[in-house]
Amino acid sequence: MRFEAPLRITAVAAVLALALTGLVVREGTARARGQEVALAITGYDPRELLTGHYIRFQIVHEAPPGTACPPGADQSWPRGKTTWVALRREGTRHAPAGVAERRSEAAKLGEVTVRGRLTCVAPVVSPPDAGAAQAEPTRTTLDLGVDRLHIDQAQAEAMERDLLRRAEAHAVFSVASDGTPRLKGLIVNGRRVDLDWF
Amino acid sequence: MASYRERLTRDLDGWIAGGLVPAESRETILDSVGEARRLDAATALAVIGGLLAGIAVIAFVAANWSGIPRIARFAMILAAFLATAGAAAWAAGRERPVASQVLLCVAAMVFAAAIGLTGQIFDIAGSPQAALGGAGLGAGLLALAAGSPWTAAVSLVFLAAGDIAAGRVFDNAPSWPGWTAYAAPLGAWLALRWSSQPLAHVAAPAVGIGAVSVAMLLPTMPEAVPWLFTVFFILLAAGARWLWQRSQAPAGILYGWWAWGAMLAFAAVGSGRLLTGAGHSIACLALSAGVVALGRHDRHRGVTALGVLALIASAARLLFDLGVGLLTSAAIFGASALVALVVSAVMQRRRRAA
Repeated sequence: MRFEAPLRITAVAAVLALALTGLVVREGTARARGQEVALAITGYDPRELLTGHYIRFQIVHEAPPGTACPPGADQSWPRGKTTWVALRREGTRHAPAGVAERRSEAAKLGEVTVRGRLTCVAPVVSPPDAGAAQAEPTRTTLDLGVDRLHIDQAQAEAMERDLLRRAEAHAVFSVASDGTPRLKGLIVNGRRVDLDWF
Repeated sequence: MASYRERLTRDLDGWIAGGLVPAESRETILDSVGEARRLDAATALAVIGGLLAGIAVIAFVAANWSGIPRIARFAMILAAFLATAGAAAWAAGRERPVASQVLLCVAAMVFAAAIGLTGQIFDIAGSPQAALGGAGLGAGLLALAAGSPWTAAVSLVFLAAGDIAAGRVFDNAPSWPGWTAYAAPLGAWLALRWSSQPLAHVAAPAVGIGAVSVAMLLPTMPEAVPWLFTVFFILLAAGARWLWQRSQAPAGILYGWWAWGAMLAFAAVGSGRLLTGAGHSIACLALSAGVVALGRHDRHRGVTALGVLALIASAARLLFDLGVGLLTSAAIFGASALVALVVSAVMQRRRRAA
Protein backbone atom coordinates (compact mmCIF):
# COMPACT_ATOMS: atom_id res chain seq x y z
CA MET A 1 0.00 0.00 0.00
CA ARG A 2 1.53 3.29 -1.07
CA PHE A 3 0.68 6.59 0.63
CA GLU A 4 0.60 9.60 -1.66
CA ALA A 5 2.15 12.95 -0.68
CA PRO A 6 -1.16 14.67 0.34
CA LEU A 7 -1.96 11.84 2.73
CA ARG A 8 1.55 11.83 4.17
CA ILE A 9 1.50 15.61 4.69
CA THR A 10 -1.90 15.44 6.40
CA ALA A 11 -0.76 12.58 8.63
CA VAL A 12 2.44 14.36 9.72
CA ALA A 13 0.54 17.63 10.35
CA ALA A 14 -1.98 15.74 12.50
CA VAL A 15 0.83 14.08 14.47
CA LEU A 16 2.53 17.45 15.08
CA ALA A 17 -0.75 19.06 16.20
CA LEU A 18 -1.42 16.13 18.54
CA ALA A 19 2.11 16.38 19.95
CA LEU A 20 1.58 20.05 20.75
CA THR A 21 -1.80 19.32 22.35
CA GLY A 22 -0.26 16.47 24.33
CA LEU A 23 2.43 18.81 25.63
CA VAL A 24 -0.20 21.26 26.88
CA VAL A 25 -2.30 18.52 28.51
CA ARG A 26 0.76 16.95 30.13
CA GLU A 27 1.92 20.30 31.53
CA GLY A 28 -1.59 21.07 32.81
CA THR A 29 -1.86 17.71 34.54
CA ALA A 30 1.62 17.99 36.07
CA ARG A 31 0.82 21.51 37.25
CA ALA A 32 -2.36 20.33 38.97
CA ARG A 33 -0.68 17.33 40.62
CA GLY A 34 2.48 18.99 41.96
CA GLN A 35 3.07 20.30 45.46
CA GLU A 36 2.15 23.97 45.73
CA VAL A 37 4.63 26.50 47.13
CA ALA A 38 4.36 30.29 47.28
CA LEU A 39 7.57 32.31 47.06
CA ALA A 40 8.10 36.04 47.59
CA ILE A 41 8.75 38.03 44.41
CA THR A 42 9.76 41.53 43.38
CA GLY A 43 9.75 43.29 40.01
CA TYR A 44 13.02 43.12 38.08
CA ASP A 45 13.08 46.82 37.41
CA PRO A 46 10.07 49.16 37.60
CA ARG A 47 10.82 50.43 34.10
CA GLU A 48 10.86 46.93 32.65
CA LEU A 49 8.20 45.47 34.84
CA LEU A 50 5.59 45.42 32.16
CA THR A 51 6.61 44.69 28.61
CA GLY A 52 3.73 43.63 26.45
CA HIS A 53 1.22 41.83 28.59
CA TYR A 54 3.35 39.92 30.95
CA ILE A 55 4.66 40.58 34.39
CA ARG A 56 8.31 39.91 34.88
CA PHE A 57 9.49 39.08 38.34
CA GLN A 58 12.33 37.62 40.32
CA ILE A 59 12.03 35.41 43.36
CA VAL A 60 13.79 37.25 46.17
CA HIS A 61 13.74 36.42 49.84
CA GLU A 62 14.94 39.17 52.14
CA ALA A 63 16.17 38.41 55.65
CA PRO A 64 17.09 40.91 58.38
CA PRO A 65 20.61 42.48 58.17
CA GLY A 66 23.27 40.19 59.56
CA THR A 67 21.37 36.98 58.73
CA ALA A 68 23.68 34.35 57.27
CA CYS A 69 23.09 33.11 53.73
CA PRO A 70 21.35 29.71 53.35
CA PRO A 71 23.86 26.82 53.09
CA GLY A 72 25.49 26.64 49.65
CA ALA A 73 23.92 29.87 48.40
CA ASP A 74 27.05 31.98 48.84
CA GLN A 75 29.29 29.71 46.78
CA SER A 76 29.60 29.89 43.00
CA TRP A 77 28.26 26.86 41.12
CA PRO A 78 29.51 26.05 37.59
CA ARG A 79 27.38 27.52 34.83
CA GLY A 80 24.85 25.05 33.47
CA LYS A 81 25.15 22.70 36.45
CA THR A 82 21.86 21.45 37.85
CA THR A 83 21.53 22.14 41.55
CA TRP A 84 18.78 21.33 44.04
CA VAL A 85 17.23 24.06 46.14
CA ALA A 86 15.56 23.26 49.44
CA LEU A 87 12.45 25.22 50.47
CA ARG A 88 11.11 25.40 54.00
CA ARG A 89 7.67 26.48 55.07
CA GLU A 90 7.30 29.86 56.77
CA GLY A 91 3.64 30.22 57.70
CA THR A 92 1.58 29.96 54.52
CA ARG A 93 4.58 30.67 52.30
CA HIS A 94 7.91 29.03 51.52
CA ALA A 95 11.45 30.40 51.64
CA PRO A 96 14.78 29.13 50.29
CA ALA A 97 16.61 27.07 52.92
CA GLY A 98 19.75 26.09 51.03
CA VAL A 99 21.19 24.57 47.88
CA ALA A 100 23.09 21.35 47.23
CA GLU A 101 24.48 19.33 44.35
CA ARG A 102 22.35 16.27 45.17
CA ARG A 103 18.69 16.09 45.96
CA SER A 104 19.27 13.92 49.04
CA GLU A 105 21.56 16.59 50.49
CA ALA A 106 19.04 19.35 49.75
CA ALA A 107 16.24 17.30 51.35
CA LYS A 108 18.05 17.60 54.69
CA LEU A 109 17.73 21.41 54.53
CA GLY A 110 14.02 21.80 53.74
CA GLU A 111 10.83 19.83 53.19
CA VAL A 112 10.45 20.69 49.46
CA THR A 113 13.28 20.22 46.94
CA VAL A 114 13.21 21.81 43.51
CA ARG A 115 15.58 22.12 40.54
CA GLY A 116 16.99 25.65 40.40
CA ARG A 117 19.81 27.97 41.30
CA LEU A 118 20.25 29.98 44.47
CA THR A 119 22.46 33.01 45.02
CA CYS A 120 22.80 35.12 48.10
CA VAL A 121 24.29 38.50 49.02
CA ALA A 122 24.76 39.20 52.69
CA PRO A 123 26.20 42.72 53.16
CA VAL A 124 28.70 43.07 55.95
CA VAL A 125 26.94 44.62 58.93
CA SER A 126 28.52 48.00 59.63
CA PRO A 127 28.92 49.55 63.08
CA PRO A 128 25.82 51.40 64.30
CA ASP A 129 27.33 54.82 63.45
CA ALA A 130 27.96 53.95 59.78
CA GLY A 131 24.60 55.25 58.63
CA ALA A 132 22.10 53.70 56.20
CA ALA A 133 24.40 50.93 54.96
CA GLN A 134 23.77 48.93 58.12
CA ALA A 135 20.11 48.42 57.12
CA GLU A 136 20.95 46.35 54.02
CA PRO A 137 19.08 43.03 54.25
CA THR A 138 20.44 39.64 53.26
CA ARG A 139 19.00 38.96 49.78
CA THR A 140 18.60 35.44 48.50
CA THR A 141 17.61 35.14 44.84
CA LEU A 142 16.08 31.94 43.49
CA ASP A 143 16.14 31.14 39.76
CA LEU A 144 13.59 28.47 38.82
CA GLY A 145 13.78 29.16 35.07
CA VAL A 146 10.47 31.06 35.12
CA ASP A 147 10.46 34.82 35.40
CA ARG A 148 7.21 35.98 33.82
CA LEU A 149 3.49 35.43 33.74
CA HIS A 150 1.44 36.24 30.66
CA ILE A 151 -1.93 37.74 31.56
CA ASP A 152 -4.31 40.18 29.96
CA GLN A 153 -3.47 43.86 29.83
CA ALA A 154 -5.92 45.10 32.48
CA GLN A 155 -4.73 42.56 35.05
CA ALA A 156 -1.09 43.19 34.18
CA GLU A 157 -1.45 46.95 34.66
CA ALA A 158 -3.28 46.53 37.97
CA MET A 159 -0.57 44.20 39.24
CA GLU A 160 2.12 46.55 38.02
CA ARG A 161 0.63 49.39 40.05
CA ASP A 162 0.49 47.17 43.15
CA LEU A 163 4.06 46.00 42.70
CA LEU A 164 5.29 49.57 42.26
CA ARG A 165 3.68 50.36 45.61
CA ARG A 166 5.81 47.50 47.01
CA ALA A 167 2.74 45.44 47.80
CA GLU A 168 3.29 41.96 49.17
CA ALA A 169 3.62 39.60 46.18
CA HIS A 170 4.19 35.88 45.76
CA ALA A 171 4.60 33.51 42.84
CA VAL A 172 2.76 30.21 43.24
CA PHE A 173 4.63 27.20 41.86
CA SER A 174 3.71 23.58 41.49
CA VAL A 175 6.67 21.31 42.25
CA ALA A 176 6.47 17.92 40.57
CA SER A 177 7.77 14.72 42.15
CA ASP A 178 10.86 14.95 39.91
CA GLY A 179 11.60 18.46 41.25
CA THR A 180 10.46 20.36 38.16
CA PRO A 181 8.83 23.69 39.07
CA ARG A 182 5.81 24.96 37.10
CA LEU A 183 4.26 28.37 37.54
CA LYS A 184 0.63 28.23 38.71
CA GLY A 185 -0.09 31.90 39.30
CA LEU A 186 0.68 35.08 41.20
CA ILE A 187 -0.65 36.54 44.44
CA VAL A 188 -0.31 40.32 44.53
CA ASN A 189 -1.79 42.31 47.39
CA GLY A 190 -3.87 39.32 48.44
CA ARG A 191 -5.40 38.93 44.94
CA ARG A 192 -4.58 35.64 43.23
CA VAL A 193 -4.35 35.16 39.46
CA ASP A 194 -4.17 31.52 38.39
CA LEU A 195 -3.20 30.02 35.08
CA ASP A 196 -6.11 28.07 33.67
CA TRP A 197 -7.52 27.02 30.32
CA PHE A 198 -9.52 30.24 30.03
CA MET B 1 21.53 34.91 -19.41
CA ALA B 2 20.93 32.38 -22.18
CA SER B 3 19.83 28.92 -21.07
CA TYR B 4 21.75 25.79 -22.01
CA ARG B 5 19.16 24.99 -24.68
CA GLU B 6 19.51 28.45 -26.24
CA ARG B 7 23.29 28.19 -26.27
CA LEU B 8 23.09 24.67 -27.74
CA THR B 9 20.69 25.85 -30.44
CA ARG B 10 23.11 28.60 -31.42
CA ASP B 11 26.11 26.25 -31.41
CA LEU B 12 24.18 23.54 -33.26
CA ASP B 13 23.26 25.92 -36.06
CA GLY B 14 26.93 26.84 -36.35
CA TRP B 15 27.99 23.18 -36.46
CA ILE B 16 25.34 22.40 -39.12
CA ALA B 17 26.56 25.38 -41.18
CA GLY B 18 30.13 24.10 -40.81
CA GLY B 19 29.12 20.60 -41.88
CA LEU B 20 30.01 19.05 -38.54
CA VAL B 21 26.47 17.82 -37.75
CA PRO B 22 23.81 16.68 -40.25
CA ALA B 23 20.86 19.10 -40.42
CA GLU B 24 18.32 16.32 -39.96
CA SER B 25 19.74 15.59 -36.46
CA ARG B 26 18.96 19.12 -35.25
CA GLU B 27 15.48 18.51 -33.82
CA THR B 28 16.43 15.12 -32.35
CA ILE B 29 19.38 16.66 -30.50
CA LEU B 30 17.33 19.59 -29.22
CA ASP B 31 14.47 17.33 -28.12
CA SER B 32 16.91 15.19 -26.16
CA VAL B 33 17.95 18.20 -24.06
CA GLY B 34 14.50 19.39 -23.01
CA GLU B 35 14.02 22.65 -21.18
CA ALA B 36 14.71 22.97 -17.49
CA ARG B 37 11.89 24.41 -15.45
CA ARG B 38 12.62 28.03 -14.54
CA LEU B 39 10.83 30.29 -12.14
CA ASP B 40 9.20 33.10 -14.03
CA ALA B 41 8.60 36.52 -12.47
CA ALA B 42 5.01 35.73 -11.47
CA THR B 43 6.03 32.51 -9.74
CA ALA B 44 8.94 34.23 -8.02
CA LEU B 45 6.57 36.91 -6.74
CA ALA B 46 4.18 34.20 -5.54
CA VAL B 47 7.05 32.57 -3.65
CA ILE B 48 8.02 35.89 -2.04
CA GLY B 49 4.37 36.54 -1.24
CA GLY B 50 4.07 33.14 0.41
CA LEU B 51 7.15 33.71 2.55
CA LEU B 52 5.94 37.18 3.54
CA ALA B 53 2.60 35.64 4.49
CA GLY B 54 4.46 33.28 6.82
CA ILE B 55 6.27 36.18 8.45
CA ALA B 56 2.97 38.06 8.73
CA VAL B 57 1.44 35.06 10.52
CA ILE B 58 4.33 34.98 12.98
CA ALA B 59 4.01 38.73 13.61
CA PHE B 60 0.26 38.41 14.00
CA VAL B 61 0.38 35.64 16.54
CA ALA B 62 3.16 37.42 18.42
CA ALA B 63 1.00 40.49 18.82
CA ASN B 64 -1.15 40.99 21.87
CA TRP B 65 -4.41 39.20 21.75
CA SER B 66 -4.94 38.64 25.41
CA GLY B 67 -8.69 39.32 25.27
CA ILE B 68 -9.27 35.86 23.75
CA PRO B 69 -9.50 32.89 26.16
CA ARG B 70 -6.37 30.76 26.31
CA ILE B 71 -7.99 27.62 24.94
CA ALA B 72 -9.42 29.59 22.00
CA ARG B 73 -6.01 31.11 21.24
CA PHE B 74 -4.46 27.66 21.26
CA ALA B 75 -7.21 26.35 18.99
CA MET B 76 -6.63 29.25 16.58
CA ILE B 77 -2.91 28.48 16.39
CA LEU B 78 -3.55 24.80 15.73
CA ALA B 79 -6.20 25.68 13.14
CA ALA B 80 -3.79 28.04 11.34
CA PHE B 81 -1.14 25.31 11.23
CA LEU B 82 -3.51 22.58 10.09
CA ALA B 83 -5.09 24.86 7.48
CA THR B 84 -1.71 25.76 5.97
CA ALA B 85 -0.51 22.15 5.98
CA GLY B 86 -3.87 21.07 4.53
CA ALA B 87 -3.54 23.63 1.76
CA ALA B 88 -0.04 22.30 1.02
CA ALA B 89 -1.44 18.76 0.84
CA TRP B 90 -4.21 19.96 -1.49
CA ALA B 91 -1.67 21.69 -3.76
CA ALA B 92 0.50 18.56 -3.80
CA GLY B 93 -2.54 16.53 -4.85
CA ARG B 94 -3.26 18.98 -7.69
CA GLU B 95 0.33 18.64 -9.04
CA ARG B 96 1.27 22.20 -8.07
CA PRO B 97 4.74 21.63 -6.64
CA VAL B 98 5.72 25.28 -6.17
CA ALA B 99 2.49 26.19 -4.34
CA SER B 100 2.79 23.05 -2.23
CA GLN B 101 6.37 23.82 -1.25
CA VAL B 102 5.63 27.46 -0.38
CA LEU B 103 2.60 26.46 1.71
CA LEU B 104 4.59 23.75 3.45
CA CYS B 105 7.34 26.27 4.31
CA VAL B 106 4.66 28.56 5.75
CA ALA B 107 3.18 25.61 7.69
CA ALA B 108 6.65 24.86 9.12
CA MET B 109 7.03 28.50 10.22
CA VAL B 110 3.51 28.54 11.69
CA PHE B 111 4.38 25.40 13.65
CA ALA B 112 7.52 27.12 14.98
CA ALA B 113 5.38 30.09 16.05
CA ALA B 114 2.83 27.69 17.55
CA ILE B 115 5.47 26.15 19.80
CA GLY B 116 6.54 29.56 21.12
CA LEU B 117 3.01 30.84 21.52
CA THR B 118 1.76 27.70 23.24
CA GLY B 119 4.55 28.19 25.76
CA GLN B 120 3.49 31.80 26.18
CA ILE B 121 -0.27 31.13 26.43
CA PHE B 122 0.06 28.43 29.08
CA ASP B 123 3.28 29.78 30.65
CA ILE B 124 5.13 26.55 29.98
CA ALA B 125 8.77 27.03 30.90
CA GLY B 126 11.18 25.79 28.30
CA SER B 127 14.42 26.66 26.64
CA PRO B 128 14.53 28.55 23.32
CA GLN B 129 16.85 25.88 21.93
CA ALA B 130 14.30 23.14 22.66
CA ALA B 131 11.61 25.20 20.92
CA LEU B 132 13.85 25.76 17.89
CA GLY B 133 14.83 22.08 17.85
CA GLY B 134 11.15 21.08 17.98
CA ALA B 135 10.36 23.49 15.15
CA GLY B 136 13.24 22.06 13.09
CA LEU B 137 12.12 18.49 13.76
CA GLY B 138 8.54 19.35 12.75
CA ALA B 139 9.70 21.05 9.55
CA GLY B 140 11.96 18.08 8.80
CA LEU B 141 9.10 15.60 9.15
CA LEU B 142 6.91 17.72 6.87
CA ALA B 143 9.77 17.93 4.34
CA LEU B 144 10.27 14.17 4.31
CA ALA B 145 6.54 13.52 4.06
CA ALA B 146 6.18 15.81 1.06
CA GLY B 147 9.62 15.37 -0.51
CA SER B 148 9.97 19.14 -0.18
CA PRO B 149 13.54 20.49 -0.37
CA TRP B 150 12.54 24.05 0.57
CA THR B 151 10.92 22.85 3.80
CA ALA B 152 14.02 20.75 4.48
CA ALA B 153 16.06 23.95 4.16
CA VAL B 154 13.74 25.67 6.67
CA SER B 155 14.21 22.70 9.00
CA LEU B 156 18.00 22.97 8.80
CA VAL B 157 17.86 26.71 9.57
CA PHE B 158 15.76 26.05 12.71
CA LEU B 159 18.00 23.20 13.86
CA ALA B 160 21.18 25.21 13.35
CA ALA B 161 19.66 28.18 15.21
CA GLY B 162 18.69 25.81 18.04
CA ASP B 163 22.21 24.40 18.26
CA ILE B 164 23.72 27.88 18.33
CA ALA B 165 21.21 28.99 21.00
CA ALA B 166 22.04 25.87 23.04
CA GLY B 167 25.73 26.76 22.99
CA ARG B 168 26.66 23.56 21.14
CA VAL B 169 28.50 25.51 18.47
CA PHE B 170 30.30 28.47 19.96
CA ASP B 171 30.34 27.63 23.69
CA ASN B 172 32.71 25.16 25.24
CA ALA B 173 31.98 21.73 26.68
CA PRO B 174 28.57 20.75 25.32
CA SER B 175 27.52 17.25 26.37
CA TRP B 176 26.47 16.00 22.91
CA PRO B 177 26.69 17.14 19.28
CA GLY B 178 24.05 19.45 17.92
CA TRP B 179 21.09 18.26 15.86
CA THR B 180 22.78 19.86 12.85
CA ALA B 181 25.56 17.26 13.03
CA TYR B 182 23.01 14.61 12.01
CA ALA B 183 20.56 16.68 9.96
CA ALA B 184 23.03 18.59 7.75
CA PRO B 185 24.63 15.51 6.09
CA LEU B 186 21.11 14.16 5.54
CA GLY B 187 20.18 17.54 4.04
CA ALA B 188 23.19 17.43 1.69
CA TRP B 189 22.25 13.91 0.61
CA LEU B 190 18.63 14.97 0.04
CA ALA B 191 19.82 17.99 -1.97
CA LEU B 192 21.58 15.56 -4.33
CA ARG B 193 18.68 13.12 -4.36
CA TRP B 194 16.06 15.80 -4.98
CA SER B 195 18.39 17.87 -7.24
CA SER B 196 17.67 20.92 -5.11
CA GLN B 197 20.04 23.86 -5.33
CA PRO B 198 18.35 25.88 -2.50
CA LEU B 199 18.70 22.92 -0.13
CA ALA B 200 22.34 22.48 -1.18
CA HIS B 201 22.98 26.17 -0.35
CA VAL B 202 21.63 25.64 3.18
CA ALA B 203 22.94 22.12 3.82
CA ALA B 204 26.56 22.84 2.85
CA PRO B 205 27.21 25.55 5.50
CA ALA B 206 25.03 23.59 7.96
CA VAL B 207 27.51 20.70 7.63
CA GLY B 208 30.18 23.16 8.84
CA ILE B 209 28.03 24.13 11.84
CA GLY B 210 27.43 20.47 12.64
CA ALA B 211 31.16 19.74 12.35
CA VAL B 212 31.96 22.58 14.77
CA SER B 213 29.45 21.16 17.28
CA VAL B 214 31.20 17.77 17.03
CA ALA B 215 34.63 19.41 17.38
CA MET B 216 33.45 20.99 20.63
CA LEU B 217 33.21 17.48 22.10
CA LEU B 218 36.84 16.68 21.33
CA PRO B 219 39.38 16.93 24.12
CA THR B 220 41.18 20.27 24.18
CA MET B 221 43.30 20.21 21.03
CA PRO B 222 43.20 23.77 19.73
CA GLU B 223 46.28 23.10 17.57
CA ALA B 224 44.80 20.12 15.76
CA VAL B 225 41.24 21.33 15.13
CA PRO B 226 41.97 23.71 12.19
CA TRP B 227 44.10 21.01 10.54
CA LEU B 228 41.33 18.43 11.01
CA PHE B 229 38.79 20.85 9.58
CA THR B 230 41.03 21.62 6.60
CA VAL B 231 41.39 17.92 5.76
CA PHE B 232 37.66 17.30 6.45
CA PHE B 233 36.52 20.07 4.09
CA ILE B 234 39.07 19.18 1.40
CA LEU B 235 37.74 15.60 1.41
CA LEU B 236 34.14 16.84 1.29
CA ALA B 237 34.92 19.30 -1.51
CA ALA B 238 36.76 16.60 -3.47
CA GLY B 239 33.82 14.23 -3.09
CA ALA B 240 31.32 16.89 -4.15
CA ARG B 241 33.52 17.81 -7.14
CA TRP B 242 33.62 14.16 -8.18
CA LEU B 243 29.81 13.97 -8.06
CA TRP B 244 29.47 17.33 -9.84
CA GLN B 245 31.58 16.08 -12.70
CA ARG B 246 29.10 13.20 -13.01
CA SER B 247 26.24 15.60 -13.75
CA GLN B 248 24.98 16.06 -10.18
CA ALA B 249 24.23 19.81 -10.45
CA PRO B 250 23.66 20.53 -6.71
CA ALA B 251 27.01 18.88 -5.97
CA GLY B 252 28.64 21.91 -7.63
CA ILE B 253 27.11 24.11 -4.95
CA LEU B 254 28.32 21.79 -2.20
CA TYR B 255 31.77 21.78 -3.82
CA GLY B 256 31.91 25.59 -3.79
CA TRP B 257 30.78 25.95 -0.15
CA TRP B 258 33.10 23.23 1.13
CA ALA B 259 36.04 24.69 -0.78
CA TRP B 260 35.35 27.92 1.15
CA GLY B 261 35.24 25.86 4.35
CA ALA B 262 38.62 24.29 3.60
CA MET B 263 40.20 27.67 2.86
CA LEU B 264 38.78 29.26 6.03
CA ALA B 265 39.96 26.30 8.11
CA PHE B 266 43.43 26.57 6.61
CA ALA B 267 43.42 30.30 7.39
CA ALA B 268 42.66 29.37 11.02
CA VAL B 269 45.71 27.08 11.03
CA GLY B 270 47.78 30.26 11.29
CA SER B 271 46.48 30.87 14.79
CA GLY B 272 48.34 27.78 16.03
CA ARG B 273 52.05 27.22 16.51
CA LEU B 274 52.92 24.66 13.83
CA LEU B 275 52.62 26.95 10.81
CA THR B 276 52.53 30.65 11.58
CA GLY B 277 53.58 34.06 10.31
CA ALA B 278 55.11 34.46 6.88
CA GLY B 279 55.32 30.67 6.39
CA HIS B 280 51.56 30.33 6.79
CA SER B 281 50.90 33.33 4.55
CA ILE B 282 53.14 31.88 1.80
CA ALA B 283 51.32 28.53 2.11
CA CYS B 284 47.98 30.40 1.83
CA LEU B 285 49.29 32.26 -1.20
CA ALA B 286 50.29 29.02 -2.92
CA LEU B 287 47.00 27.35 -2.00
CA SER B 288 45.02 30.36 -3.27
CA ALA B 289 46.82 30.23 -6.61
CA GLY B 290 46.01 26.54 -6.81
CA VAL B 291 42.34 27.24 -6.01
CA VAL B 292 42.18 29.90 -8.76
CA ALA B 293 43.65 27.40 -11.24
CA LEU B 294 41.23 24.71 -10.08
CA GLY B 295 38.27 27.08 -10.33
CA ARG B 296 39.20 28.07 -13.88
CA HIS B 297 39.84 24.46 -14.84
CA ASP B 298 36.44 23.38 -13.47
CA ARG B 299 34.69 26.55 -14.74
CA HIS B 300 33.31 26.99 -11.21
CA ARG B 301 32.77 30.68 -10.45
CA GLY B 302 32.45 30.21 -6.69
CA VAL B 303 35.75 28.37 -6.40
CA THR B 304 37.50 30.87 -8.70
CA ALA B 305 36.15 33.78 -6.65
CA LEU B 306 37.34 32.06 -3.48
CA GLY B 307 40.83 31.68 -4.94
CA VAL B 308 41.00 35.33 -5.99
CA LEU B 309 39.79 36.62 -2.62
CA ALA B 310 42.12 34.29 -0.74
CA LEU B 311 44.98 35.41 -2.97
CA ILE B 312 44.37 39.07 -2.13
CA ALA B 313 43.98 38.31 1.59
CA SER B 314 47.11 36.14 1.64
CA ALA B 315 49.18 38.80 -0.12
CA ALA B 316 47.97 41.47 2.29
CA ARG B 317 48.68 39.19 5.25
CA LEU B 318 52.16 38.40 3.91
CA LEU B 319 52.98 42.09 3.60
CA PHE B 320 51.82 42.56 7.18
CA ASP B 321 53.89 39.58 8.39
CA LEU B 322 57.01 40.90 6.68
CA GLY B 323 56.54 44.28 8.32
CA VAL B 324 56.21 45.85 4.87
CA GLY B 325 59.84 45.04 4.15
CA LEU B 326 59.69 46.00 0.49
CA LEU B 327 62.84 44.21 -0.70
CA THR B 328 61.85 40.98 1.05
CA SER B 329 58.29 41.33 -0.27
CA ALA B 330 59.59 41.87 -3.79
CA ALA B 331 61.74 38.75 -3.54
CA ILE B 332 58.88 36.57 -2.24
CA PHE B 333 56.32 37.85 -4.72
CA GLY B 334 58.87 37.52 -7.54
CA ALA B 335 59.61 33.92 -6.53
CA SER B 336 55.87 33.18 -6.28
CA ALA B 337 55.29 34.68 -9.74
CA LEU B 338 58.13 32.58 -11.13
CA VAL B 339 56.63 29.40 -9.67
CA ALA B 340 53.18 30.28 -11.07
CA LEU B 341 54.64 31.00 -14.54
CA VAL B 342 56.67 27.79 -14.59
CA VAL B 343 53.63 25.70 -13.52
CA SER B 344 51.52 27.45 -16.16
CA ALA B 345 54.13 26.77 -18.86
CA VAL B 346 54.38 23.10 -17.89
CA MET B 347 50.59 22.73 -17.98
CA GLN B 348 50.36 24.39 -21.40
CA ARG B 349 53.12 22.18 -22.78
CA ARG B 350 51.33 19.06 -21.49
CA ARG B 351 48.05 20.22 -23.03
CA ARG B 352 49.72 20.77 -26.39
CA ALA B 353 51.44 17.36 -26.18
CA ALA B 354 48.06 15.75 -25.46
